[in-house]
Amino acid sequence: MEQPGLTQPEGDLPDGLLAARAAEGDDDAFAVLVRRHSRPLLGLAYYMLGSPQDAEEAVQDAFVSAWRRLPEYRQAAEFRTWMYRITVNRCLNMRHRRSPPLPLDAVAEPATGDEAGSPARAAEEDAEVAALTCALREMDTGLRICWILRELQGLPYKEIAQVTRASEPTVRGRLFRARRLLKEAMAPWR
Amino acid sequence: MALDDPNAQPSEPPRNPGRPDDPAFRDAVPLAGDQVLPCGRLLSQAWEQAQDGMPAADAHATSCPHCREAVEGLARLNVATRALRAKDPPGLRALADRVMSIVRAEVRLGRLLPLADTVLDLRIAESAAAKVMRQAADTVPGTRAATCRLAPAGEGTGVQVTMTLAAALDRPLPETVTQVRRSIIHAAGQALGMAVTTVDITVADVLEPFAPPAPAGSGPTTGGGA
Repeated sequence: MEQPGLTQPEGDLPDGLLAARAAEGDDDAFAVLVRRHSRPLLGLAYYMLGSPQDAEEAVQDAFVSAWRRLPEYRQAAEFRTWMYRITVNRCLNMRHRRSPPLPLDAVAEPATGDEAGSPARAAEEDAEVAALTCALREMDTGLRICWILRELQGLPYKEIAQVTRASEPTVRGRLFRARRLLKEAMAPWR
Repeated sequence: MALDDPNAQPSEPPRNPGRPDDPAFRDAVPLAGDQVLPCGRLLSQAWEQAQDGMPAADAHATSCPHCREAVEGLARLNVATRALRAKDPPGLRALADRVMSIVRAEVRLGRLLPLADTVLDLRIAESAAAKVMRQAADTVPGTRAATCRLAPAGEGTGVQVTMTLAAALDRPLPETVTQVRRSIIHAAGQALGMAVTTVDITVADVLEPFAPPAPAGSGPTTGGGA
């Protein structure tokens, strides 16, 4: 009965088709959507919440919630935008529940340039990433969401506005302020 | 230089930055905390132009030393951002499996539909049968099924299928639809033992031709240009 040779992979299907199938209970179609969007959503949650466990929980809850709500999802927004919105809401709720202390290992010291080779450069890059991560965590949530969506995930202004339910000028303003703050935070690594 | 000098920041940005001969920037409104570069453009504009391509870079942006300096101020941040972007967030590998194990435990079966067996009263869940129908539609070149609903047709064991699909426009749609209908009826009979009486098909979307992912490194080697 199983004739895998006859079926075509769903990996090349657009989100809209997969969401329509998943809404009717096609869990295989939903699995493709989960695999396709896990990485950016988990990244967003991780840099929003600062804890891997909380991030996993937030994204897992977001996907399960999406699966349950798909029959009512009328594709007014792109699946990706809808999914981002559910995840952002989930993260904001979790942040209200608890505010985790900053893990000490996230704050690395700037590399001392005693070696000119690539290990020193790699260490410097790690330090820069740690400094950026640290500065992100200290930034206002609204600014942080906009910066993550734009700079880490490459969303256009319009979609960021839809995800955060803000106007495009508000998004532009937040992104500008976020860039300024992060640029200043990176200054000691100059 | 001017950027790093706090004294160079005007306490309030002027209302009408940009030069009069600079139409793209005449109406620009400064953002909160913005600053005016010595060339008259806003820092936010220089950044947006370089980082977001909005508006598209013009001759001024590529030649102006002040705009360039403003953009270079982000270089350090951009390096760290790129490195952060390349990192997989922790827990990524296990996430999809965990989500799907929860999702598969909450399976939505839909209604139960009769199979074409007059002796045994056999039934199949709509979601399982729909999956087979969609796969059957997908095997027709240039089509991909979207929704697929099934309902009993009358008193017997017949089943009515209602499907929406996306189809490519590289050949006449009636031809495509006929082929999809045939494929569905065949798969229903062969794979499920279900007697499909009618298949209502709506072409709800246009399918863009599939472009197989280009092999790495295959740039525009031939036929490039306008």
